[in-house]
Amino acid sequence: MAGIRIENVRKSYGAVTVLRDFNLDIADGEFVVFVGPSGCGKSTMLKILAGLEEASGGRVLIGERDVTDLAPGDRDIAMVFQNYALYPHLTVARNMGFGLKMRGMDRGEIDRRVSEAAKILAVDHLLDRRPKELSGGQRQRVALGRAIVREPQAFLMDEPLSNLDAKLRVHMRAEISALHKRLGVTTIYVTHDQIEAMTMADRIVIMRDGEIQQIADPDTMFARPENLFVAGFIGSPGMNFLLGNVTADERGARVSLFGQDVCLPVPLAAVPGIAGRPVILGLRPEHIGPAHGPVSFAVRPRLVESLGSEKYIYVDLPHENRGAPADAKGADDERRGDALIARLVDAGAVATGEPITLSFDPARLHVFDAETHRAIR
Amino acid sequence: MSTQSIPAQPLAARAPGRRRRFGLDLARPSRRHWLGYLLLAPAVLLIALIIVYPLFISLDLSFQNVGIARLDQPRRPFTLANYERLFTSAEFWMACWVTFKLLVIVTGACFVLGLATALLVNNRFRGRSIARLFVALPWAVPEVIAVIIFAWIFDSSFGLMNWLFITLGLTSQTINWFSDPDAAFAVVAITMIWKGYPFVSIMALAGLQSIPEDFYNAAKVDGANAWQRFTNITIPTLMPVLGVTIVLVMLWVFRDFSIIYVLTGGGPLKATQTLSIMTYEQAFGFFKMGYASAVGIVTLVLCVLASLLMVGRRAEAMY
Ligand SMILES: Nc1ncnc2c1ncn2[C@@H]1O[C@H](COP(=O)(O)OP(=O)(O)OP(=O)(O)O)[C@@H](O)[C@H]1O
Ligand SMILES: [Mg+2]
Repeated sequence: MAGIRIENVRKSYGAVTVLRDFNLDIADGEFVVFVGPSGCGKSTMLKILAGLEEASGGRVLIGERDVTDLAPGDRDIAMVFQNYALYPHLTVARNMGFGLKMRGMDRGEIDRRVSEAAKILAVDHLLDRRPKELSGGQRQRVALGRAIVREPQAFLMDEPLSNLDAKLRVHMRAEISALHKRLGVTTIYVTHDQIEAMTMADRIVIMRDGEIQQIADPDTMFARPENLFVAGFIGSPGMNFLLGNVTADERGARVSLFGQDVCLPVPLAAVPGIAGRPVILGLRPEHIGPAHGPVSFAVRPRLVESLGSEKYIYVDLPHENRGAPADAKGADDERRGDALIARLVDAGAVATGEPITLSFDPARLHVFDAETHRAIR
Repeated sequence: MSTQSIPAQPLAARAPGRRRRFGLDLARPSRRHWLGYLLLAPAVLLIALIIVYPLFISLDLSFQNVGIARLDQPRRPFTLANYERLFTSAEFWMACWVTFKLLVIVTGACFVLGLATALLVNNRFRGRSIARLFVALPWAVPEVIAVIIFAWIFDSSFGLMNWLFITLGLTSQTINWFSDPDAAFAVVAITMIWKGYPFVSIMALAGLQSIPEDFYNAAKVDGANAWQRFTNITIPTLMPVLGVTIVLVMLWVFRDFSIIYVLTGGGPLKATQTLSIMTYEQAFGFFKMGYASAVGIVTLVLCVLASLLMVGRRAEAMY
């Protein structure tokens, strides 16, 4: 086991820059998740770590050893692929033992390690089967088994759960977490699913267009997003964004939201020239409550979705608050610009078109610069 | 809209009428496979007519003492004489031996050359498409033209090969390629390899391109070197494709006629007379069609045995 250090790694394919200046320090035994939209360079970074792609610049260190120019097989890492990459002509046992055999380990030791790993992953009854005779979940376990028999310094996993159905995915997610607790091996896990990232990670690295947006633990990521993109990416349903013009007076910075004067949770001193400029305000759907609160407003819901335990209420934004950039892509949306979602738990009956009072606490507002999209605190 | 334009009619009244109009309703689930048979029927009939029927004719002929076969004449009496003569004739065993040698050498060389060229042009390099074209080229050349090219190359007085041999100092006088048994056999083999390897190459290339990149990535991470990746990933995953390809090449060598016939006519001293040349010679050279049929039938049996041997082991699908 070892920590991993990535220093100033860059990657471009000809004129296309895929990764720019990637810096990351991963502690021994940490579970780090790379997350970001499709095409942001997650797999590329992982392949550079594995030695399957050459970096255009920068260094990679695994356990203080510079591996930048080492062959994949000499880096002492194991990788789990999205489509498992199990060799179709080998049995499960031989698939799992392949890496050990390539390293010239003797038969007895290979068998011992394979059966031990198979027991951990509950695939010991499948050892004589071929991959085509396994279900998706079983294949996934075998692929994990192939990684753990090697007892490597680190695991690299590239969207290992994306071929599984939703239920199995939740199950395997927990299993991988448990496996990590048990083995304590440094793991880098790539996904584009923010829920996987939030549930599994010690630390999340959010990427976009080859650039790191923020590195933080899940709770910090949720509570203190550094910029608009991170704010919109984490959380489901995604954060609501409202546009407002700042006015300043002796009590602090204020904006008008839903026709009401709201005091922003940032000291005026934090941003000297803020008065008179537009800002983007982020408000999480779960921070909007039913009934009266610090800031209350009456609305008629455009749409009400009930999930049983909770309700999603879609509300039209007032014109003055519309127009926040669609730049922050959450999970799903095109509504960003003109609607707001409230997520109400135990709200009682709410009907589309019927008036309802909602409220929020201004302290929950996230403030972002409308130009740089960076958080203002 | 369309639902409104249909006149309101009770369902029960409409259904039987419809069934009467289409006497054979192939859309019914229980009859869906009928359509398949129906579509297959013309092809099956055609094959029966042009392959199975002649096959039975020649099987029948091989048990008769016939010179020139004529369908309008009555059957001759049943006899095993053709087969008796066949299995005691040195010529037949010689032809078997020549066919076997050719089979092993040509199939083996086509396999190695085809796989090697496929691996080569599967790499990414400048001018890859041109290289692929050149690899596949001999396959597109008609057999007779290929034979003429090689007949010129190996011509004893102004052939390229003799010039090359003399220039390189390998021989002092011109070799007469077509009068020496070993040399003639070599020429036939080389021509067949040149003509046959592109097929293996094309098939192997198609197979190579269907191997997922991640197999190699996984093997690299597992520490396999290039040779180990080749023997542990490439060869086993290509095997289903290669197995079938080898059978097809073998059958081609078995039955190929034009290359040998145009190049050497089976000579010299029957050194290049394969079973198919022998069949032709007996049937249309000496007009012993009964005897020729016996040779043909034996060849057929050998072909079937050989392909069963090769295909049988690889029949199981991999994915
Ligand atoms: N061989 C290549 N040549 C040129 N561009 C490439 C190549 N491989 C990847 N790219 C580009 O690099 C970018 C990052 O690709 P990468 O596979 O790392 O994305 P990703 O974050 O893993 O996305 P996903 O979530 O869809 O897997 C993409 O825009 C892709 O088009
Ligand atoms: Mg990817």
